[in-house]
Amino acid sequence: MQKKLAITGLAFSICFSTFSFAKDYVIGVTQNNVGVDSYQTTYDIALKDTMTKYPNVEGIVLDAGGNVARQIAQVQDLIQQEVDAIILWPTNGQALTPIVRKAKQMGIPVIITNSNISEKGQEFITAFSGPNTITQGQYAAELMCEGLNGKGQVVQITGQPGYQTAINRQKGFEDSLAADCPGVSIIDSQPGDWNREKSQRVMENFITRFGTKIDGVYAADDNMGIGALNAIKEADLKNIKIVGATNFAVGYDAIKEGSYYGSVVQSPVSDAIAALAITMKILNGDKVEKDNYFDTPKVTLANIDEFERPVF
Amino acid sequence: MFSVINRYMYDIYAKNVNLGVVAKQGFLIGFIVLLFVFSLFSDEFLQSRNVMTVISQAAIIGVIAIGVTFVIVGGNLDLSVGSMLSFGAVLVADLHDKIGAYPAIACMMMALLVIGSVNGFLVAYLKLNSLIVTLGMLSVIQGMTLIYTSGKNVDITAQDTSVFDFINKGTVFDIPVPIILFILLGLAMEILLKGTVFGRKLFATGGNPKAVLFSGINSAKVVFSTYLLSAFTTGCASILIASRVMGAQNTVGQGYELVVLAGVILGGASLLGGSGSIIKTILGVLVLKFLQNGLLLLGFQYYIQWVVTWVVIIFAVWLDIAVTRRKVLLD
Repeated sequence: MQKKLAITGLAFSICFSTFSFAKDYVIGVTQNNVGVDSYQTTYDIALKDTMTKYPNVEGIVLDAGGNVARQIAQVQDLIQQEVDAIILWPTNGQALTPIVRKAKQMGIPVIITNSNISEKGQEFITAFSGPNTITQGQYAAELMCEGLNGKGQVVQITGQPGYQTAINRQKGFEDSLAADCPGVSIIDSQPGDWNREKSQRVMENFITRFGTKIDGVYAADDNMGIGALNAIKEADLKNIKIVGATNFAVGYDAIKEGSYYGSVVQSPVSDAIAALAITMKILNGDKVEKDNYFDTPKVTLANIDEFERPVF
Repeated sequence: MFSVINRYMYDIYAKNVNLGVVAKQGFLIGFIVLLFVFSLFSDEFLQSRNVMTVISQAAIIGVIAIGVTFVIVGGNLDLSVGSMLSFGAVLVADLHDKIGAYPAIACMMMALLVIGSVNGFLVAYLKLNSLIVTLGMLSVIQGMTLIYTSGKNVDITAQDTSVFDFINKGTVFDIPVPIILFILLGLAMEILLKGTVFGRKLFATGGNPKAVLFSGINSAKVVFSTYLLSAFTTGCASILIASRVMGAQNTVGQGYELVVLAGVILGGASLLGGSGSIIKTILGVLVLKFLQNGLLLLGFQYYIQWVVTWVVIIFAVWLDIAVTRRKVLLD
């Protein structure tokens, strides 16, 4: 029995090794938490799809399931398999720093995708690829300023407290508004935790508190923005401009319908394609920038037809 | 200092029956004081619009808490209600577009009752610890929800003709439908708990399992039923939440189990089993919600709201245990 197992094992390893020898590069990927939200699911599909378009690349695509210990073990495995590059979507920017350092020591380039690793880890990574979440906040502020003609009072619904994207989108929005649009002031911010129902509750309370004093709402993603829209519709308030970030399908429809002012497009497909493109450049020996941001354009009723309806 | 306060509670019980009654109703008085204080600082607080909004928001947690009260009276816990809510909401919203509103509701209810009966079977018949069982179930259902949706949000598109639209926006005598459902369910369940043989068996099972063992009550069956009830009320809440946001996210119920538990405990149900009341649970949930709403209207940040909320809950639990313990010592 044991002999049989050993032979099967040997056969398997020969198969796999010849398989990987047939390709020039092996890229190991470990993602944050596929299947927990539409964005990450779509990213996963796009990534695997794009990989098949590089004939000389073999991909090992793993998912950490949101578990940082599992992700560290996965990076360890990838190092041991001597992959040519690692694409990492960190579950936690702090805890992954030591293992990223080890990868660098072993001469394997690490490309961080979507959300960045901590400051301390920056010296060990080769490149970052993802959206510039600060800029997204700025864009949202510009949209808000434009929508309100530079004058009004807005309430803000932020993302999950402590999550870097939430922090950056809030910072970008607040800083840009203060600097470039002094006529628009933020009268309150509360977190909506990326949760539509929660945001609806927050918005209902805002409406009770400020009523018609509210001219605009900024929600850190469209999912929460739609929650705010539900509350506004229910209270029968008109002329409130809603601006979101990360355009979801529901947000896209609401912009088209005219009940939602604008948002910022962030496509998981662009995200995945950008991460792979940077990695290929590195493998081919081309010089790359440290920070690579893919484009996240503003979308309003005026230009919505230039964009496809998001799949999530 | 605390021993002094504890002794003070003891004295209330030992020496003065009238004060004892006051202490028992202290919670209700506290609620009224809370409403009064907030209304001094915020003009909007007691306006009917705000009151209706808060009760509508409280309905989702409140409806779940009604079912969970049964479980807790029986001396067990149900921590899986939050994930069950996510699952139920996703399921009912997704099926709504595929097979229509009523069949969707029926299918979702069936699915949740199956989950509830698994909980009930493991706790009641296999005598496993309810904390462990339902905590495990929490993850299992969360996983099932993620598999079912493959990470996507579900939206109800056929809104206008739907019964969901009525639940969401409809009013009867100017009262929003969620509030009416909340009240009706609460009354029916209060009657079930206080006015039926099942209710009396449940109090006996939670209060004194040993005595029940010798009295011939089938306590396993009673405990099993409590998990069905909690699954049923969570199903009702799933309909409320799905019609409220006209769709569902697979994480929509995350963390609800703790808020529900907080409401039930604040309502005076003992975690040791054997005591509890639906009306008081509803009051407990309302206190939580009005407290959060009041703090929000006064402009406090989210973090402060949570700190205050949980300080109040811990205080209430301590008060409950302090009073009960003295009472037990006296008896």
